Amino acid sequence: MRLLFVNNDGGGYADYVNVEDGMTVEQFFNEKMPGRKPEHYLIRVNRQPVARDYVLKEGDRITVTPTKIEGAAA
Amino acid sequence: MEDIKNTIRVADRIRDVLLRLRHNRYLELARQLSNLDRELQDLTAVSKKMTIALAHDWLSAANDCCQSVDRLVSDIPYCVSRIKQFTEAPQKDVPTLAALVEDLDQLEQEFGDLEYDNKRGTIAVTTDPITLEDIELGPFRIQLDIGKLGELYYSSPYYVIALEPNPAATDQGVTHPHVNSERLCEGEGSSAIQAALEEGRLCDFFTLARSILNTYSPDSPYVALADWQGESCYECGSAMNSDNSYSCGFCDNSVCEECSTYCRSCQETICLACAAKCEVCEEPVCPRCARVKCTECQVVCCESCITDGLCPDCREERENENEQQREQVAGTSQSGASSDSQAAAGEVRLAG
Repeated sequence: MRLLFVNNDGGGYADYVNVEDGMTVEQFFNEKMPGRKPEHYLIRVNRQPVARDYVLKEGDRITVTPTKIEGAAA
Repeated sequence: MEDIKNTIRVADRIRDVLLRLRHNRYLELARQLSNLDRELQDLTAVSKKMTIALAHDWLSAANDCCQSVDRLVSDIPYCVSRIKQFTEAPQKDVPTLAALVEDLDQLEQEFGDLEYDNKRGTIAVTTDPITLEDIELGPFRIQLDIGKLGELYYSSPYYVIALEPNPAATDQGVTHPHVNSERLCEGEGSSAIQAALEEGRLCDFFTLARSILNTYSPDSPYVALADWQGESCYECGSAMNSDNSYSCGFCDNSVCEECSTYCRSCQETICLACAAKCEVCEEPVCPRCARVKCTECQVVCCESCITDGLCPDCREERENENEQQREQVAGTSQSGASSDSQAAAGEVRLAG
């Protein structure tokens, strides 16, 4: 199934991705963000917070935003 | 109902600006291409000059051309990278009005409050109070100027305003380690913030800015948290940070740049209170080097002013005395030689 994935970690561009039917949010995160901890991110599906076992559906919009980002001094 | 109308009005305004931004993206690309073209033209001109220089065997001129080439080719990769930012990034559709309204609703849910100022054309959210490493910085207002969103490629369209400021002791403009004069230095979040604003994902933009404010990066702050409260100069009481704090080598107190100096004999850093003075050149010396005195007049002398244990005045006096003694000795010798001559002459007359 096709989902819109907005990855605000790094480049930050939104793009469509294909995933297996019946994939949960937790499985999606582990696949797309390997080695990262979900508690360090704000995860929204269709602009709403969801449980980790939420089953994704065709056309869902998933946004992943880090809660800690290092700034700098210009 | 009025709120919904206002939200739609704001979303419509944002959509107009995003359409203008798409146009400005191509304008900025054209500008960057002009920059590259200019650099290449300069390179061509230098190349021609170099050819002429070599034809005449003017090696010095050829060397000058070589340095110009080095400077120009160093600039070109930057021009190319700026162009690639626009050519490689995919052009996204401007979001629909409905999508922008949903985004603004989500923004209000995430932050609990959303302020529209229709007169100034701004959208603002307020963060929770931020504390980094036990230093309370207070809440911050992230304010986006919708009109300036269209100039995203030329200037930053948003401000980060401290609502209960607790600025760094050494710089009132630094209200957060990564905020100076209400401008956030985005660091690792720079690309994601630009992408979010380009695509009209305002909730993502504000969330990213909040994430940066909630993170301390000790490698590159405007003012490090360790220096936030500053340290007071022991002499004058002014606030110092680690870059302009000096430790006196004798009393160990920390002083500012104005209240510190160094010994001209041994180069040790000292505070003005511990510093003595060479009585010849009046330059500062440390207490240890101040024990060096002229053996004749006992004035304190630095290493530069003392020679063979004497200050310049006493040395000159000693040299004058020596000169006088030499003259006296020379005079006595001549007198002695003259007497001997007269005696010899007398003997000759007597003999004759």
